Amino acid sequence: MANPLLSVENLTISFGGIVAVRDFSIAVEPGTIHALIGPNGAGKSTTFNCISRLYKPNAGRIIFDGQEITHLPSSAMAGLGIARSFQNLELFNELTVLENMLIGAHVHCGGSFGDRLAAHPPAVMREIDAIIERTGLAPYRETKARNLDFGHQKLLELARALAIKPRLLLLDEPAAGLRNREIAALDTLLTDLARKEGLTIIIVEHVMALVMSISDRVTVLNFGTKIAEGTPAEVKGNTAVIEAYLGKEVALHG
Amino acid sequence: MRIFGLLLAAIVLIALPFFTTGYVIYLANILLTFTVLCLGLHIVIGEAGQFSLAHAAFYGIGIYVTGIAGTKYGLPFPVTMLIGGVAAAAVGFVIGVIALRMRDIYLALATFAFGEAMQWLFQNWDAVTGGPNGLRIAPAHLFGHEFVTDKDAYPVVVLFALLMIGLTILISRARLGRALRAVRESEVAAQAMGIPVQRAKLLAFGLSAFFAGIAGGMFTLFSTFIHPESLGFSTTMLALTMVVVGGLGSIGGAVGGAIVFGLISELLRQAPSFQEIAYGLILIIFMMYAPKGLFAFLADKFGRARHG
Repeated sequence: MANPLLSVENLTISFGGIVAVRDFSIAVEPGTIHALIGPNGAGKSTTFNCISRLYKPNAGRIIFDGQEITHLPSSAMAGLGIARSFQNLELFNELTVLENMLIGAHVHCGGSFGDRLAAHPPAVMREIDAIIERTGLAPYRETKARNLDFGHQKLLELARALAIKPRLLLLDEPAAGLRNREIAALDTLLTDLARKEGLTIIIVEHVMALVMSISDRVTVLNFGTKIAEGTPAEVKGNTAVIEAYLGKEVALHG
Repeated sequence: MRIFGLLLAAIVLIALPFFTTGYVIYLANILLTFTVLCLGLHIVIGEAGQFSLAHAAFYGIGIYVTGIAGTKYGLPFPVTMLIGGVAAAAVGFVIGVIALRMRDIYLALATFAFGEAMQWLFQNWDAVTGGPNGLRIAPAHLFGHEFVTDKDAYPVVVLFALLMIGLTILISRARLGRALRAVRESEVAAQAMGIPVQRAKLLAFGLSAFFAGIAGGMFTLFSTFIHPESLGFSTTMLALTMVVVGGLGSIGGAVGGAIVFGLISELLRQAPSFQEIAYGLILIIFMMYAPKGLFAFLADKFGRARHG
């Protein structure tokens, strides 16, 4: 087995006495898609926000590519190659799609003095244009983010994260609120990114069809604790998982 | 259209001293100084989205430091102005460090309090500022040449205004400008994109104060006297109104607002007791009916009329 690109060891985080995540560990292999699922309030997003350094864990370690990142600021993540999207859209609303993308590429615009001053730094423009093209945002290049429809706003969240040129992509419910057609496109895009380009993806998602289709591994959380982990097929058949989602009765009789 | 506008502006700026008298030149000097003051406010509020209500204080620091460096120590003017700008920026950084811990209304109140404190200092530090009697400013000089009249100062004032407009455009287009706007739009997303949000805010405060300091230096070029009374909240309010009237977040808006509203405020000088009421009223009316500013409002109306 290859060394994990990201490992979380014994992570615990509590908010005012309430333990949101308890003694949680995962190891994410490079080039794989690893899903975090669980009922509402299970601690998925909390874990996610710990990895992206938005929350400070009370205990535990987060190691990315052999380097401990537990105590680094969240603004150091992009430089390391860790990108994230936000569940409740955190776009730069009054700015255009292109400008959102340019800010996404912020860490790659600081090379030369010319790149720092340029409105369209040559170092990143080709990459940005390619991502805009690939995510289908090309017709909206000069549109303000707030004027995009919801589906395209979700896409821009993803595209902007890709502009970081990440090695690890953290996606917080990228499919929430999307239509079936849009979910299918997302499925293809994420699969391509992982299988063809070797990007490592951690995804928190409620749309099970997508999770089961794209994931290499699935970790299930309930009440802040890991209750199962395995391939999508293994997890689907796990009694504890069915119980967590549907209740004990169904699990016994089903 | 844009090129035509710029050309017209250039012709007016160049022709002005040949066709007009002292008062018009004085007015032009004041308007250009206010333009630079407004550009500073544009950077901190318009670009970075951080409320700063201490702009008059930084302007004052620029005036006093530049004035004293020239009058007391006899330094030539580009040096004095640079010292004034850097002094204001340094104080701006310090305020920035404090301001990082606050946001919105708390930030507005804290910077307001700082502005009031600075005015108190200008009024009471007799040994340095001349206290309530004000400070006489000797004419600026360079290579033995003295800038005595408004007309002498005018080309230099124009030059500095253009330099600072250029600098603002440069910052706005560059990585730094994008980072400031990112902080304005979403701090958490800006952080995720690798932007050190605190440092960006600090830079915005420092730069904004630097612009105000340079504006203060420009003022000393054509003025012989500074009175601390004119460095209070009403001046901050005036600059804020200019930026909002012109259109928050746009460089053209800041420049246009400074000029249009600067003319209005000059007219209102005949009735000083109504001045602040008028500023307040204009600000409220614009915030209610034309929050994007005069020029966006006109373009909108004009465009709608044209397209039926």
